[in-house]
Amino acid sequence: MKKHPVSLTVNTDTYDLLIEPRKTLLATLRDTIGLTGTKEGCSTGDCGACTVIVDGKAVTSCMMLGVSANGKEITTVEGLASRDQLHPIQQAFIDKGGYQCGFCTPGFIVASKAYLDENPNATEAEIRHALGNNICRCTGYTKIIEAVMSAAEAMRNA
Amino acid sequence: MSEYAVLGKRVPRVDALEKVTGAAQYGGDVHLPGMLHGKFVRSKHPHAKILNIDTSEAEKLPGVRAIITQDDVESGRRVFASDKVLYLGEPIAAVAATDPDIAEEAADLIQIDYEVLPAVQDVMEAIQPDAPRLHSDDTKDGPARRAISTVLRKLERDNSQDHSAEIAELNAQLETIEGEVYYNISAETHSASGDVEQGFAESDLVVEDTYVIPRVHQTYMEPHVSVADVESTGKVTVWASTQGPFAIRSGIAGTLGIPLNQINVIPTTMGGGFGGRFGVVLTHVPAVLLSQKTGRPVKIQMTREEEFTDGRPAPGCVIKLKTGVKNDGTILAREGLAFWDSGSISGASIGSTIRLRGVYKFPHLKVDAYGVYTNKSGTAAYRAPGTPQVAFAGESQLDEIARKLNLDPVEFRLKNMRVTGDPVPAGPKEPKVGYKETLQAVADAVDWKNRTKGPNQGWGVAIGDWTNGCGPGGMFVSIHEDGSARIFHGSIDITGTDTALAQIVAEILTLPYEDVTISRGDTDSAPYATGSGGSVVTFTMGNTAKLAAEDTQRRLLELASERLNTEVESLELKDGRVSTIVGDPPKSIGFGELAAYSLSTTGGPIVGKGSFARKPSTPALAAQIAKVEIDPETGRIKVLKMASSQDVGFAINPMAVEGQIEGGTVQGYAWATMEEMQYDKKGNVNPGFVDYRVPTSADLPTVESVIVEVEAPDGPFGAKGVGEPPITPTLATMANAVTDAVGIRITELPMKPEKVVAALHGNGK
Ligand code: FES
Ligand code: FES
Repeated sequence: MKKHPVSLTVNTDTYDLLIEPRKTLLATLRDTIGLTGTKEGCSTGDCGACTVIVDGKAVTSCMMLGVSANGKEITTVEGLASRDQLHPIQQAFIDKGGYQCGFCTPGFIVASKAYLDENPNATEAEIRHALGNNICRCTGYTKIIEAVMSAAEAMRNA
Repeated sequence: MSEYAVLGKRVPRVDALEKVTGAAQYGGDVHLPGMLHGKFVRSKHPHAKILNIDTSEAEKLPGVRAIITQDDVESGRRVFASDKVLYLGEPIAAVAATDPDIAEEAADLIQIDYEVLPAVQDVMEAIQPDAPRLHSDDTKDGPARRAISTVLRKLERDNSQDHSAEIAELNAQLETIEGEVYYNISAETHSASGDVEQGFAESDLVVEDTYVIPRVHQTYMEPHVSVADVESTGKVTVWASTQGPFAIRSGIAGTLGIPLNQINVIPTTMGGGFGGRFGVVLTHVPAVLLSQKTGRPVKIQMTREEEFTDGRPAPGCVIKLKTGVKNDGTILAREGLAFWDSGSISGASIGSTIRLRGVYKFPHLKVDAYGVYTNKSGTAAYRAPGTPQVAFAGESQLDEIARKLNLDPVEFRLKNMRVTGDPVPAGPKEPKVGYKETLQAVADAVDWKNRTKGPNQGWGVAIGDWTNGCGPGGMFVSIHEDGSARIFHGSIDITGTDTALAQIVAEILTLPYEDVTISRGDTDSAPYATGSGGSVVTFTMGNTAKLAAEDTQRRLLELASERLNTEVESLELKDGRVSTIVGDPPKSIGFGELAAYSLSTTGGPIVGKGSFARKPSTPALAAQIAKVEIDPETGRIKVLKMASSQDVGFAINPMAVEGQIEGGTVQGYAWATMEEMQYDKKGNVNPGFVDYRVPTSADLPTVESVIVEVEAPDGPFGAKGVGEPPITPTLATMANAVTDAVGIRITELPMKPEKVVAALHGNGK
């Protein structure tokens, strides 16, 4: 199948790629670029495991074609921590026990970041609603919500 | 329990960093050079003869490297359907190609000719004589016929006297209950104690009902995946996301006839299992076959849709249940008959039907259970396999009885609950248990006695019991020259068990938690470890860790006694050093120094070994109380409060324990209110998250977990397995709350809004 040139920025690095038009952004990130932190839980846009931030907005990367990401800036879970410090949301997921198997965690952390950047004063109800497209089968959400609430507070106080 | 330095503390998990940064390597993240991708050709019918498989077009597609069918399975064990397919989505062939999209294209090009057969999806239809049959040799007697046949067989065997008259009489009786022969039966189990007929005769109230619980999927978030690499020497390496690497190793060996020592299973981080990730035929075996054929590494990753059609979910079942009580609420007798939907493969947790006895003390019990073949994929374990289903029946019925007798449902249960030493119906005596404490704890947590409710609101209570499993495990603990300790083992951590093991070792060696690291080997390198299912890990590997740490301690004391010139008896471990217990002047030496010294001794480096097989487990109880509000227009059930208590023996890491309670409770809530794999004549009709809804954070408020600690005599520091119990009561908790809110008793799950509305209008179940 004919491949198309695509240029995209992922976590500050720019990639010039040739990709088949049928490949998703998720497959591009995982298989072509090799950033496997973003997970595939359903490939139908229903679980949020593949959430990345595209130009500031949370996107399920299994529902976006790689070619559509041409010229876009993408943040994945690998791009959140600086060299010596975790992002407050990552730290909060550790402190509050916001994960078990961890498969949903990158998606939750990235989706939370996109949401808190937009609404730093979010209430619990708003956070529960905003994360309503992400499925976690292990935690029952109690500790995830605690983690995001406490991260929001930490971010406000930073 | 503040006597401990590390145990009982909310320490962060050992795998914290890799889990929040995306660095953890799950099965799907394994990528080998030259790797091919495998895809399946799956049956388009739930029941059909396969007339022909034509792979010629697919073979021509550029990029295709191999196509395999059952003909390629030399051992003859069923990996693919070859003569007939038994469910929609059953694999018939697999393709390996250079790209997953090419493999899928090729799979679509493979032509299968079928002769379609009638299918059966419903257990109660499947047991009828006119039902389509999946396998031969599948008829069994129902309970009444069984009772007669058992006597009949005895008489026929007895040659000492002439029983012909009795035999004729019994045969005549058998004929009157001819309808009680069941078809499509995959398995059966029966237990009894006392005499239920007598029990019902002595009862003031006998309540009888039929409960229907749907088949649900474990829905672990990472679909099945494996990467297999078979070298030219025949050595097989499999990267597997699994609950039991050693089970996978023996499973592959057994299925394909490969010697055990030729197989190495490298466990990856696993994206959830809940009991559904022990099998080998879904992806591991096909990947090995494709790699054998191509000489290249092969990855097979199932899609979510394939998970729903070809996964091994939890069985649905139909339970007929009858309970007899005295007017004062004393339970006298219970009789249950269960039909478990085992799909096309035998199995289906039917052994759990005995848990219909609950944790109550009563003399008369009879339980009969059958596994029934239907045209669906086989089933597997799902968190306390079988128990949520039977607890739904048992605890719903008790609730109904409490209503009829006007008894407080908590008091009624407490009155009948067994305590330590009580006889268990059809079982041994109760060991040390904390049933009453656990129920009381959740009642106290919600201030049960003073509960209030508004219109359309209700409170529900239910309990569930479960005993953690136990299995063999081995472990090493080494002390390094910097004084730190490292654990090496082969058991799989999903829920934080590695953290618990590190806490145990740190506690015994008096090290700070941070100074104990842990690593997992593959099946070639690590000592055997039982699979991570049945809530076994903390119990089994925790005991193993205790032994390994104690062995390490012995060696440290021995070395210190040489170095300090002091008797072992007058030394102790303290703050990561070995010191004199009393002594003037006090003497001490660091672990690091001892580790360095050990390298030049005849005894060699400090390696503690723990090897553990079995100790008696103790039953655990989970108890829950929910407050709900029903919208009578939409039928939506809103949970206003959910409190969940559990006897965990001892909480090694309370944060991890709460996580289990919260997660299990929400899974139970979902089974009660929304989840159901649906089938029509053509097979599963809701193979995706749009039609198979699972809960999200928007569905529920916070789960309030209540930890109860009634020490397990043989658990490590008193701990019990924690993972499974919390799902067991929730189905009934929710149903009982709905009844309390709007007065309807729903006996058929899930309580989807439309069902609630129908029941409110008097035409539901
Ligand atoms: S994998 Fe993209 S939403 Fe599930
Ligand atoms: S932690 Fe396992 S799915 Fe969320």
